[in-house]
Amino acid sequence: MNGWADPAPRAVDGRAPDVFSTAGTVPMRQFSDRDAVDFAIVGTGCGGGVLAAKLAEAGFSVVAFDAGPFWRPLADFASDEREQDKLYWLDPRISAGDDPVEFGQNNSGRAVGGSTVHFQMVALRFRPEWFASRSRLGYGVDWPVDWRTMWRYYDEVERACAISGPVNYPWGPKRHYPYRAHEVNAAGQVLARGAEALGVPWAPTPLATVSAPRGKSPPCVYRGMCKIGCSTNAKQSVLITFIPRALDAGAEIRDLAMVGRIETEDGRATGVEYHRDGQWRFQRARNVVCAGYSIETPRLLLNSASGAHPHGLANSSGNVGRYLMVHLNDAVWGVMEDEIRWYKVPPSMACCEHWNYIDDKDFDGGYSFMSQGPLPTDFARMLVTNEGVFGDELHRQMALYNRMAGLKMVGETMPQADNRVTLADEHDDLGLPRAHVTYSCCDNDRRMRRHARDFMARMLAAAGGSELLETGSTAHLMGGCRMGNDPETSVTDSDGRTWDIPNLWVCDGSLMPTAGGVNPSMTIMANAARIADRITALAGRGEAERAHG
Amino acid sequence: MQKLARNTRRPDVQAALIGVGALALLGGTAILARRKARLAPQRKVQLAAQTMGASIVADSAMQHLRGGFHNPAMYAAPALATLSTAGTLARTQAGRPLHVAAIATGAAGLSFHAYNIVKRPGGVSWNNLFYAAPIGAPGGLAVTGALALAQRATTRGHGRLLAGFVALATLAETAEVALLHYRGAWHNPAMFTPVTLPPVAAALLLDQALWPRPAVRRLTRGALRLMAAMGVVGTGFHIYGVSRNMGGWGNWRQTAFAGPPVPAPSSFCALALAGDAALDLIEDAP
Repeated sequence: MNGWADPAPRAVDGRAPDVFSTAGTVPMRQFSDRDAVDFAIVGTGCGGGVLAAKLAEAGFSVVAFDAGPFWRPLADFASDEREQDKLYWLDPRISAGDDPVEFGQNNSGRAVGGSTVHFQMVALRFRPEWFASRSRLGYGVDWPVDWRTMWRYYDEVERACAISGPVNYPWGPKRHYPYRAHEVNAAGQVLARGAEALGVPWAPTPLATVSAPRGKSPPCVYRGMCKIGCSTNAKQSVLITFIPRALDAGAEIRDLAMVGRIETEDGRATGVEYHRDGQWRFQRARNVVCAGYSIETPRLLLNSASGAHPHGLANSSGNVGRYLMVHLNDAVWGVMEDEIRWYKVPPSMACCEHWNYIDDKDFDGGYSFMSQGPLPTDFARMLVTNEGVFGDELHRQMALYNRMAGLKMVGETMPQADNRVTLADEHDDLGLPRAHVTYSCCDNDRRMRRHARDFMARMLAAAGGSELLETGSTAHLMGGCRMGNDPETSVTDSDGRTWDIPNLWVCDGSLMPTAGGVNPSMTIMANAARIADRITALAGRGEAERAHG
Repeated sequence: MQKLARNTRRPDVQAALIGVGALALLGGTAILARRKARLAPQRKVQLAAQTMGASIVADSAMQHLRGGFHNPAMYAAPALATLSTAGTLARTQAGRPLHVAAIATGAAGLSFHAYNIVKRPGGVSWNNLFYAAPIGAPGGLAVTGALALAQRATTRGHGRLLAGFVALATLAETAEVALLHYRGAWHNPAMFTPVTLPPVAAALLLDQALWPRPAVRRLTRGALRLMAAMGVVGTGFHIYGVSRNMGGWGNWRQTAFAGPPVPAPSSFCALALAGDAALDLIEDAP
């Protein structure tokens, strides 16, 4: 059992939920299963949601599927930590390897809008050199995309999400955020004090929650539950930005529609088999796009194996599911003299990218770190699972909750072929094989972890923290269907088109060849916006499978 | 294709157009209005001081209440603004110490606010200028006291002095507005109005202070009347702005404090009135 208590599908009968209301709906174009739509997109998060909007706006007929519900934030989200567990992908996955990955709130969303419905809104850009990390920094693998191209698309998606960021960002090429940065809270000021004490730069974190009104989005009220489901719509998730755009432009969104297989015929995708409202159905499509993120996209491609594709779709190179990456998410926590109340406002109000831009260190790659604001249950769980704290000692440490501050890293791990997604023997409620995820850190990852823990501890101590304790974790997912210039070492080309099947595309974080040392949402969105334009351009030249319905 | 669902991409052009339309209507009426029962310049300055004082009383009380009056000195601004404003009711020498105290408190407030900014991590940074104590706000209290003292202006020289003072105060106010509207990301195009119109009025006033040419005076009066109308329309915009926070006016105990300050735009009305009084003195006084 998956333990989900889903509502019935809401995007039905030509109407979709109005995300800016408590119970309203808006008109929605609806397609028949029999009609071959231009694009069937599997997933509606940072990749699929952006792609659906831009392709629909370009005039393509689009149906986007999501396994999760279509929520109305104003009615469905409450300021309660546990109530929002419904936003995570909690269906069991088999996790193995030397450092098995924990799945759930750190890396997997399940809703229309994807993980952005519950993400922490950190909106950072890659360092330009990371797009050519092998050529310029000597590790990992180069992206098949130039950083200047990506930079333009960062601009586009940051405008689309009205990112609130600093006027002057201390690292990397100049950028301009459409909205001003939020006020740095007490937890963020701890990071700032520590950074100034150690002589490294810091900045208010660019965040995807508005600092001034925007359309029907009120400015953030700093309630502090937004790291889960923002119940005011200040958070500029894909659910309230690109999904309404997609609907505006005539896309259909099918919620609670779990795609189980992609069918192929004569070397081409013909549509998707999906489960909705208690039955399996088949949607014909001229193009299929996998945008289910780094676990579900490989799982879907592998589960779509057929006689012509015995090892799964797009897997002639054997790379589907490989080179999976996470971010190291270790943290250092300390007790401060003053009251901090870190749960107030978005959790990561201040950040430091110093070690993303300095290469003089004993490991490849980089890491950023941010101030933190874990909610009580989350923090208690962390104390129990990481530190083994229990009983009276747990009570004592939780009593310090309002005076604690913490710094948590987002650390780049190396792409390794053996970190991968395969299909397990076990099946889920729909009869689909569960994902089997193998993950092990390499020596470089461990060196980075040591470096980050040491530096964050020194910074926290410099800011006045005492009783320091460290915890280990991971966050985010990248890779699994990486793009590249060589069909032997990648799954797709630079446009996200699979090397093996010309009308099968991938558009999500699984395309990322390297992980970078920042939260990946903006990079996934920028890449999706770029791919949408590439598809449109290719179609204009007759090189994509375009035919208007 | 027809837009089916509302989204949040576009700026609030509709509200901006309504506001600019209201400004055109109100400002146009004000510019064209004939000066029949003309008030004495001293009475205009008194009204200006009272309007500015009321704006400062409400604004400083709200903002310092929002700050929890965590420093007892924070009581000084609303208290002195109240006393100085009340002191203008009796146009006698008796209120003079109060007005001087208001000016001194305003000046001291500037130092307090500057200290509040620099003591934070980052020092003089955009984030601290946006969110620490507003750098120029205490100046409004000093302006209130100064206008209250200016009630006794009688000569053409006084008029020129007052015109110059009002021009500089208007420019200072504009700078504060520019900073805070920049913080608001100019999310409504009408937010550009109070940073473009007042400098024009201030420049014309300054011109009158330096070279009191009658030919420019009429234009200056028009600009000041438009600025006064902008203060009224701006108040409407700020009332609307509060409604755009979560819960709107139904949640006023939070939104009235978190949204744009409703009393603030009326200070432009006060400055416009004082500027008009200065022009009267330049024009008519011996």
